[in-house]
Amino acid sequence: MSIWFFVLGAVYLCSLVVATVKARRQNRSSNDFMMAGKNLGFLLGCLTVAATLFSTFTLLGMPDFFRRHGIGAWIFLAVSDAALVFCIIWFGAHLRRYVSGRDFRGIAGLMTDAYGTRWAGYLYLVGIFLFLIPYVAVQIRGISIFMNAVIPGFLPVWGWASLIVGIMLTYSELGGLKAIIYADAIQGLILLTVTVVIACGFVAHFGGVAEMFESVRASNAALLSTPGPGGLFTAQFLVASFIAIVLVSITQPQMTIRLVIMRDLKSLHRMALLLGLFAMIIILATIPIGMYGAVRYADLPTSDFLARVLATDQVPIIAAAVAIGLIAAAISTADSQLFALGNEVRSMLVGDEQRNMRHTKIAIICFALGSLTVAILSGDQLVLLARVSFAGTAIMGPFIIAAILAPQPPGTEIIIATGLGLLIFLCSLFQIVPDTVFSIRLDLLIFLSLFIFAFLSTSYRRAPGVASAG
Amino acid sequence: MKNRKNMLWRLCCAGVIGLSILCFTPLVIPAGQYQPLLLGLPRSLWAGMLIAFAILALAVAGTFVHPGMNDVNANQDKQP
Repeated sequence: MSIWFFVLGAVYLCSLVVATVKARRQNRSSNDFMMAGKNLGFLLGCLTVAATLFSTFTLLGMPDFFRRHGIGAWIFLAVSDAALVFCIIWFGAHLRRYVSGRDFRGIAGLMTDAYGTRWAGYLYLVGIFLFLIPYVAVQIRGISIFMNAVIPGFLPVWGWASLIVGIMLTYSELGGLKAIIYADAIQGLILLTVTVVIACGFVAHFGGVAEMFESVRASNAALLSTPGPGGLFTAQFLVASFIAIVLVSITQPQMTIRLVIMRDLKSLHRMALLLGLFAMIIILATIPIGMYGAVRYADLPTSDFLARVLATDQVPIIAAAVAIGLIAAAISTADSQLFALGNEVRSMLVGDEQRNMRHTKIAIICFALGSLTVAILSGDQLVLLARVSFAGTAIMGPFIIAAILAPQPPGTEIIIATGLGLLIFLCSLFQIVPDTVFSIRLDLLIFLSLFIFAFLSTSYRRAPGVASAG
Repeated sequence: MKNRKNMLWRLCCAGVIGLSILCFTPLVIPAGQYQPLLLGLPRSLWAGMLIAFAILALAVAGTFVHPGMNDVNANQDKQP
């Protein structure tokens, strides 16, 4: 595998250099650098959104999720992603209408405008900082443990993590969002091809789909139904995860920025539909990988299982392509998020543009270093770590939806309620407060309470005579 | 025409919400049951696939009747 790995790695690095140089030539202003000229076609748009959305979380986390917890993982991600596609069509149109005619720089700035106070922007910044850094760390951690298991002794986990962060920072700082989008497109194509090839190989290994599930039934029948062997996929867990994942398109800045920079509404719709198709193919392909693992490597730890199914059991060229595809996936998802975090900081800055850009680039480097630290220190439960990130950002969903959809400026009570929601959720993560209340999951309870509260608040302010008083 | 499109768009939204709710009922995720199989697929998997593809089909339909796409011939965003 090593020779193929270095050959394909060189090809990948060359394509990154070409993408960065091309993007640098096209960047004429700070807006081009941060917003890619706001003229993204549907194909490139789909590949960049897909690469941002489907990362090591999908290619490493989902097979492991299917292996450990069974077919409920389909409901967990595929049904949620289908609904996310619809949400992009619905929310994307509202967001684009809201930002048209405004100088859109990021959601944090938009929240400041909508609520009429900088506290709204600060709250959004704190929320995404707290919950996106772990998600970025998941990408870096996932690929680092995988590479360490596949090429033992070449670099330690922290060495792989540092190398990935170094590559990512270099080209995103040089080429801006356009370089990231080109890199995303390369990654999206690698990821799709490699996953489908491996999945087909495993189905062929079993002799067919029915035979594959028959083997799984003989091995552990609990994997074929919910809640799965560990009892994870309860209806409550799936509902809370569904809400958290659907709201990714509303709450996470690397997604919202891509909705805004699409060329027009038609491109946005086509992008969303193509994304749905992409999602179904990728998630379908992770099922045989997980089922193969459930039959052959049920008791192995995550890193060993992944190293066997994605590298050891593959022919060298496929194993090398997987490794490069995973590095590409980790890099493209993580840099999109880091860049989006920087963009959000920029949207809160006022004054000299050159100074703002300098501060933004420094912020991106700080975020990258923070993510690197978390990646080195975090555990290996990739999907569950990512889910915490989705749930954390999703708490800000009602706060953002109220700002974009409400005809009157929403009240500061929504900012306070959202801040409280984030605080309670954080406390539950650190087990300061219980994670269930009257047998209801706390994250689900927070989502529902905030949605109801935001609805009541905006309805009250809409009532005649209240808007002027408020 | 515009009202009809609005109504169809709302129907698509209602369909997506309805299917999403249905997905979390015992009809799709009965505890501990994997039968009946369909083409060898366990129950929750094939039912979940049907729901996911149905939601995507509604998304496709939604792009045709989306209020923002009224009279769109050019590449201009319209108010949804």
